[in-house]
Amino acid sequence: MPRLAVLLGALALGGTGATRAAAEAPADVPAPGLAAEGQRWWTRSPDPVNPVACATCHDDPAAIRGWAPSFPKVKPLPPPHARVMTLLQANAEAVARHYRLEDPLPAATAITAYLTALAADLPVSPGVSPGQPLFPHRLRQLEASVSRGARSFGARCAGCHRPAEVAPATRRFPRPWPEPLQALETFLTGHRPSRPPLDWSDPEMADLVAYLVSHLAGEPLGSPGGSIPP
Amino acid sequence: MRRIVSLLAIAAALGFPALAATARAQTVIAGTVKSKAGRPLGGLALLEKGEIHNNLWDRGALVDAQGRFRIEVAAGGAYGLHVYSSGYIYSPQAIRVETGKTLEVQVALAPEPTRASTPVIRKVGFFPWEGHPGVTFVKADVADPRNILGPQVLAFDAGTGRAYALEPPQKVRDLKANFPNGVYQLQVDTRARALDPRDWHFVVADHQCNTSDILSFPHEPKPQQVVQ
Repeated sequence: MPRLAVLLGALALGGTGATRAAAEAPADVPAPGLAAEGQRWWTRSPDPVNPVACATCHDDPAAIRGWAPSFPKVKPLPPPHARVMTLLQANAEAVARHYRLEDPLPAATAITAYLTALAADLPVSPGVSPGQPLFPHRLRQLEASVSRGARSFGARCAGCHRPAEVAPATRRFPRPWPEPLQALETFLTGHRPSRPPLDWSDPEMADLVAYLVSHLAGEPLGSPGGSIPP
Repeated sequence: MRRIVSLLAIAAALGFPALAATARAQTVIAGTVKSKAGRPLGGLALLEKGEIHNNLWDRGALVDAQGRFRIEVAAGGAYGLHVYSSGYIYSPQAIRVETGKTLEVQVALAPEPTRASTPVIRKVGFFPWEGHPGVTFVKADVADPRNILGPQVLAFDAGTGRAYALEPPQKVRDLKANFPNGVYQLQVDTRARALDPRDWHFVVADHQCNTSDILSFPHEPKPQQVVQ
């Protein structure tokens, strides 16, 4: 629980830190074209028979702005499917269900870019959504996910990277290259795997991202903080 | 409020501490339901006890014509609140209420843009089990045009305030799987309280959140319309 306390403490201080950082550096948000594509997926269903799109119910950008900074977090799917998910994974689950897409990854990546762009100036707050109640059991699950992610990082990444140095680079995703677009999770899938690679949708991928993002709590979601190490 | 406080003080002084404690401990989820355009909507507000989408249905309430509902729950904690109104996509939200407190929520529903994809409740019926007094089967014949029903084939008994998920015609082990079209049923214990069909309301939502109209007494389905 100490890491959770630190995380929540960082969030409590996040408003000031986010404002300062946003003033010092231009926001590094996903390319406008990518976010625009995500907005199209958000507002238009690809299914001519069922025009219900994400925006049919979630039509207020102000209301959805807080979503991206709150990931990774527990997605309360029907048991036993509830688990910690990244924003990309949650979006993929949603578009697979609502849009019935065989390959949900492109749409989910674009929607991730859109939601991230909406929240570029908001502080990273894993597990905490503005205006939403806190659920202690979900925070405990997230805490456990961060711990697993630390072990995963140690086994997969620590040979070349230090977490605090590499974590800021997670904010540079999704990005429009290599074409057509790339999410953090798809980048990590193919990044010098020393062990069998993780799939972008794996629970272990969510743990790894949760661990990295825990280093950013309270910092603005969209600010640059480091380059992607070689 | 002053009068209530006075009554509680008198009750306690007269030796009715249990009464006073019960009144103090009331835990309530209340709210207002409107359309996105701001029009109050009537309908149903149903609760899952615990984490949302766990399919453990608990209490519920009718939402009146002014869009108001109020549900008393036995204890504080996490609940999944689902709100339904005919012609609108249902709204789910995870909530948390503290014991002894009232949680007030605001719900805005979006209209179904088409009814071509929405599930339909074709018929409901109430069937006492012959040879087993005190047991009645509540059945609902449900169809979804896209065959993507989920676990939300729901009934609400306004007489008791209980919400139920009806059992599908074949066992479905995964709540994310597509549930079959057909006759869903529920076994109700009527030994303590007779079942009154006038109290029963039904609603169905599929995996894409397409939501049927609410079917209330006399349980005669009407063509589902797009809300203008």
